[in-house]
Amino acid sequence: MSKPTSRVLSGDELARFGAEIDALRARTVADLGERDARYIRNVYKVVRYSEILGRALLMVAWFLPEGWVFGTAAVGAVILGLSKILDNMELGHNVIHGQYDWMGDPVLNGKNFEWDIMGTSDNWRKTHNFRHHTYTNIHGMDEDLGYGVLRLFPEQKWHPARLGQPLYALIFAILFEWGVAIQDLRLGRWLTGRVTNKQMFQISRPALLKMRRQLVKDYLIWPLLAGPGFLVVLAGNAVANVIRSLWTYTVIFCGHFTTDVQTFPKSVLKNDNRAHWYVRQVAGSSNLSGGFLLNVMTGNLSHQIEHHLFPDVPANRYAEMAVQVREICARYGQYYNTGSMVKQFGQVLWRILRHSFPSSPQRAMRPKMAK
Amino acid sequence: MAPSALRKVAAPFVNPGIFDFWVSKLNPAWSWDRPLARVVDRKVEALDTVTLVLKPNAHCGKFVPGQHINVTAEVNGRRTTRSYSLTGIPARNGRLSLTIKRVDKGVLSTHLCQHTQVGDVLELGAAFGEMTLPAKPEGEWLFLAAGSGITPLMSLTRSLAAQNMPVDLTLIYWAKTRAELCFARELRALAVQFPRFKLQFVLEKEAQLLAGEESGLISSEQLARVVGNLSAKQVYACGPTGFVDAARSLTEGQVRSFMAEGFTPMAPITVADAATATVKVHLAASKRDLEIPTNLSILDALEAQGLKPKVGCRMGVCHSCVCTRAEGTTLDMQTGEQDAQPGMDVRICMTRARTDLTLDL
Repeated sequence: MSKPTSRVLSGDELARFGAEIDALRARTVADLGERDARYIRNVYKVVRYSEILGRALLMVAWFLPEGWVFGTAAVGAVILGLSKILDNMELGHNVIHGQYDWMGDPVLNGKNFEWDIMGTSDNWRKTHNFRHHTYTNIHGMDEDLGYGVLRLFPEQKWHPARLGQPLYALIFAILFEWGVAIQDLRLGRWLTGRVTNKQMFQISRPALLKMRRQLVKDYLIWPLLAGPGFLVVLAGNAVANVIRSLWTYTVIFCGHFTTDVQTFPKSVLKNDNRAHWYVRQVAGSSNLSGGFLLNVMTGNLSHQIEHHLFPDVPANRYAEMAVQVREICARYGQYYNTGSMVKQFGQVLWRILRHSFPSSPQRAMRPKMAK
Repeated sequence: MAPSALRKVAAPFVNPGIFDFWVSKLNPAWSWDRPLARVVDRKVEALDTVTLVLKPNAHCGKFVPGQHINVTAEVNGRRTTRSYSLTGIPARNGRLSLTIKRVDKGVLSTHLCQHTQVGDVLELGAAFGEMTLPAKPEGEWLFLAAGSGITPLMSLTRSLAAQNMPVDLTLIYWAKTRAELCFARELRALAVQFPRFKLQFVLEKEAQLLAGEESGLISSEQLARVVGNLSAKQVYACGPTGFVDAARSLTEGQVRSFMAEGFTPMAPITVADAATATVKVHLAASKRDLEIPTNLSILDALEAQGLKPKVGCRMGVCHSCVCTRAEGTTLDMQTGEQDAQPGMDVRICMTRARTDLTLDL
């Protein structure tokens, strides 16, 4: 099967492509209102009720007849895990992007929202909202290309230690929330002595405070509230946190690390403009095909392409915008990368495996970048 | 509401949003820190005019008669805030009255007049406004009210009535038609009850006048006819800016004192003359005032003056540069829409100033 390619757009075509994407954004933004407000409030509501339900099941599990303890705790942990997934993805990630700022609701404000995850939302605003979304898939600019932990593209340097990458990838998946939390601390400079202990402590302070808060909440206060059920609640919370990490990792990796996504050298930033940026967002992202449930549970990152074109448009609009984005891409000969989660994640796993071994950009067949 | 000591201890563990979500299931006006009020009564006051009686929660502040308050409700998903005058006087049970006239195309006034029901919750700001009475009012007072300008003056009139009318008060109240007169029955009753209170309705567009009603715009002849000698009067005027300006110039130098509040909003710069205009920007957090042109994004304009606001993508994507626009009108460069909603967040890389602004920078 030959690799799908995107047509190189002429200057004029590029401008028109950009204008069509701009117009789609403008149409959608002009139509925002009651329906979107109701949607995000419903998400908030489901997060709250599912959290309380999950935690309540974990709390009561210990006090149930013997045969019921494990089952109840397991269901509680899964529900709490799902609640955290919803909180982090459909609620937190989207709200922190400022998607619902137009509502003016302080609870749903992108600048202030804090989520139930190890990392601070401030840190996320910098690494994700700014660096990843502005410089998507640009080597040396977008740290999400492997998060400094994995080698996923032939352009990244190979080292014999990379052979252990499949194992690192698994550990990284289990500890994903921690990985995201420390991404911006750049511990490397501290380990190599370029930053003193004291400086590092200063830099890490907000992250450490958030970690303490999360640890105290999930592994001390909630377990203590269960009294003799302390360990059940503690274990359940740990399971819930890992479920969340595994799922978010899977979804996020499907967004930019499937086989046909393109990455870019820093040189694309010379003479860059908004239309170029749009083209790169399409070429550098991949969608997951599925229904409403998949959209909600992935925080609509199942529409990674639409999310990258319109990061601050309410995610509940992506499904309907996708129809038009796809149509525009087809007219301009731009490859629209989508597939089932099984197919897309299979490609991600292959990438993790393949690039743990030496690989070079020349050898890999790569579609031409439209520029 | 939790006592303050308990609140202090609990604060580090409380996420106000989550707290509010759960307590609102018990009582929709309860909140960790937001001043909310529940609508407990609604009455039609006049044509297109409604009085809402509110029961505020413990976070709502006090007010003095004659003051206004910012009222916030969500309309079509958007929090919308406008100022309204409190028309009652401070009550033992803490209830507040707001009288709202529906303005044509007015988003919040239409919502409050037509859609707000008993049981709904509104968010309130702190009361503000200087047009209040001294602790011991004395002498002669003249209140000039036009249209919904009656609202603060009604509060002041009620306050004086509650003190058994310790002063000579004349209230002249202009409305377009009789159907638009608010509080007519109550005002007439007060005029009967208190000989020191003189009431005059002026109807500008009513076909047939009844006994005792005047007509016509404010004029010196009219003032002379209704009030007589102005020299001892302490004047409070409230109404549209045009009315207030007329009242000021007609009474200037002839009265003991004059204070007024007008309520036509400052007109934003139209796009045609926006290219060359400059506006004043107040940066509230850093306490700086400067002038910026309106043909650049606020970010570019601030940077041109050597400031370094927080910045990210410079293309409206990342929201790093978002700051709160406390006051003023701005233009969204992407949508071409102007917006003046106080307290809204704007991306300064994608926003131009349209009027003088206050930003939380």
